[in-house]
Amino acid sequence: MISTRFVLKRLLLLVPVLVGVASLVFSILHLSPGDPALTIAGERASEEFVRQVEESLGLNDPIWVQYGRFLADAAQFQFGESFIIQRNTPVREVLANKLPVTLELALYGQLIGISLGIPLGILSAVKQDSITDHLTRIGALAGISVPIFWSGPLLILLFAQMLGWLPTSGRISVLYNVEAIRVTGLVTVDTLLAGNWDMFVSAVRHMILPASVIGVYSMALISRMMRSSMLEVIRQDYMRTARAKGQGAKITVLKHGFRNAMIPVITVIGIQFGGLLGGAVLTETVFAIGGIGTLLVEAIKVGDYPIVQGTVLTFAFLFTLVNLGVDVTYSVLDPRIEQ
Amino acid sequence: MSTETTTTNETSTDVDQRGLVDRLTASPFVSRLLSNRLALAGIAIIVAMVVIALYARLFLDLDVITQSQLGTNPNRAPPSLDFPFGTDGQARSLLPRVAYGAWYAMLFGTVTVAASTVLGVGLGIIAAYYGDVTDNVIMRTMDVLLAFPSLLLALALVAIFPDDLGLWRAVAALTLVYTPRFARVVRGAALTVLENEYIDATVALGAADPRVLVRHVLPNCLAPITVQSTLNFGLAIIDLAALSFLGFGAAAGTPSWGLMLSNGVSQGLLTGVWWWSFFPGFFLALTVLGFNLLGDGMRDALDPRMREAVD
Repeated sequence: MISTRFVLKRLLLLVPVLVGVASLVFSILHLSPGDPALTIAGERASEEFVRQVEESLGLNDPIWVQYGRFLADAAQFQFGESFIIQRNTPVREVLANKLPVTLELALYGQLIGISLGIPLGILSAVKQDSITDHLTRIGALAGISVPIFWSGPLLILLFAQMLGWLPTSGRISVLYNVEAIRVTGLVTVDTLLAGNWDMFVSAVRHMILPASVIGVYSMALISRMMRSSMLEVIRQDYMRTARAKGQGAKITVLKHGFRNAMIPVITVIGIQFGGLLGGAVLTETVFAIGGIGTLLVEAIKVGDYPIVQGTVLTFAFLFTLVNLGVDVTYSVLDPRIEQ
Repeated sequence: MSTETTTTNETSTDVDQRGLVDRLTASPFVSRLLSNRLALAGIAIIVAMVVIALYARLFLDLDVITQSQLGTNPNRAPPSLDFPFGTDGQARSLLPRVAYGAWYAMLFGTVTVAASTVLGVGLGIIAAYYGDVTDNVIMRTMDVLLAFPSLLLALALVAIFPDDLGLWRAVAALTLVYTPRFARVVRGAALTVLENEYIDATVALGAADPRVLVRHVLPNCLAPITVQSTLNFGLAIIDLAALSFLGFGAAAGTPSWGLMLSNGVSQGLLTGVWWWSFFPGFFLALTVLGFNLLGDGMRDALDPRMREAVD
C-alpha cells in the first residue's frame, strides 16, 4: 500500500529541513554567552591551558570551517564529548543511555492518550450536544489547560503522600538495580525480559502517575480532534448512503466514519508528539526521572554545549521522523494524498 | 471598472464611520460568540484575572511580597483565616503572591502573544503577497522553526539571552517559537484573500504594496488571526510558567506562578506542603482555561458548520 517512491521523496524533502535545524542549533550555541574552553578548563586554569583547549576544540578555526565540521559530525550523530555532566563520555553514549527513558514515558503517555481519546471523541460526536458530549468537551478543555507541572505534583501529593498507593518519584524502587539487566533500556520491558515479576510490578507502579499526567494532555487533544473530525464525516453523503442501504448506525460510524475521520486525528497525534516530548521534560522534572529531558535542562544550566547540541538535534530529529510517519500513514488511509 | 471600485471604497468608508459597538453587535460572529455559554464563561474568567492582576499591580506592595517575612509571619503555615493560601518557606503570605502572579502572567503573556502576532502576521502576509523566492525563504525558515518541539526550542533559545533579563528572555524565546504558527495561518488566509478581484482592482488603481497589504489584505485576515492569538494566549501563559518552573524565567523571589510551582515541587512535595503547589497552579490552570474556552468559542463562531445538529 505504501509506495517506496513516496517515502523516498518525503525523506529527500527532510534533508533541507534537517540541515536548517542543524544550522539553527549551531547558531544558537555560537550566539550563547559563555566560553566552552573556559568551561572545560575551569575558572582558575592558566591562560595557556585555556588556549590549548580552544585549539583542541577547533574554536580558533574560521566560523565556516567550524560550521562545516559541525554539519558533517551531526550527519553522523557525532557531537563530541560531554564537558561537564559526564566528563569525557561521548555525547552519543550519554544520549543512548537516557533516550529510552524518555521514549518509554512518551510511549505510555501516548498509549493512554490514544486509547482514551479516540473512543471519547467518537462518543462525543455521535451524541453531539448531549450531556456526555458536554462533559467530554469540558473535560478535554480542562485537560489541555492544566499544566503538567501542576497536575503532576497534585497527583503525587494525593496518591503517594496522602494515600500511599503509588511511589512518589523515579523509575523503579531503589532496591533494584536496573542497569544490571539492561537490554532495551525500557524498564518495563527489561524487567519482563529478566523474568523478575517484583521488579516489573515496581516499574509499572512507578510509571502510572507520570504516564497518566502526559496521557491526559494527549487524550484531551486527541478527543477534541476526533470529535470535530467525526462530526464533519458524519454529515457526508456516503454515510447517509450506507445507512440508506440498511447498515446499522454503529457499523456505519465505525467502518465508514472512523477511517475517514482518522486523517486529521493522525496529524494531531503527530503534532502533539512534539508537545509530548516537551511534556516529558516537565514530567521528568516533576517525577525526578533521569531522561533526556532533565539532561537537556541540566546541560543548559551548566553550559555543557555538546550535550545541548546532541539533545536538541535528537529531539528535532525524532519529531521530524514522527511527522514523516504521519505523512506515510495518511497515504495509507487516503491513497489520493500520494498524488 | 474604476467606477465600480470607487463605489466599493465609499461603502467601506460608510462602514468605518459606524460606531464600533454597532458594528460589533451587527456581526454574526460576535452574536454567535455571545450566545455560547462556554465562551462567556471564558470571558468572565479572563476579566476576573485581569481585575486581580490590575488590583495586585496597583495596590499591593511588591517589596512585602518578594522579601522574606521570617519573624513577622509564621513559616510554612497551612491555609488559615489570616493566611488564606498559607505561607511559604520565607513566611511570605501566598495570597498576595498568587495575585501578583496574575499580573506577571497577563503582562508577559500579552507581550509574547502581541510580539509573535505582529512578527508572524508581517512575515505571513509578505510571503503570500510576494510569493516566489520571498515566500520560499520565509516559509522554509518557518518550517525549520516548526521542526522543533516548541518547549524544547524555547529552552535552546533561552540560552542565547543573558540571565539578568529574567522573564524577558523567556518572552523573547517564546516569541520566536510562536511566530511560525502565525505566519502559516496568515499566509494561508492571505492567499485566499489575494485571489479576490478587489485586490486586482486596488493594484490596477495604482495602490502601493504597503497600502494593499495593510488596508485590504490584513483586515480580511483578522478573524483567523484573532482566533490563533486567543488560543496562543493560554499556551503562552503555560509555557512562560513552564520556563520559570524549569529555572529559565523569573528571577528567584519573583512572585511568578511557574516559580512558585517549582518551589512547591522541589521543597513542598515530599514534606506534604500541598498549598505551595495547589494555589499558584490552580490560578494558572484557570487562566489558561479561560483563554481556551474563549478561543474555542471563537473558532466555533467562525465555523458554524460545527454547531449544526446532526440527525
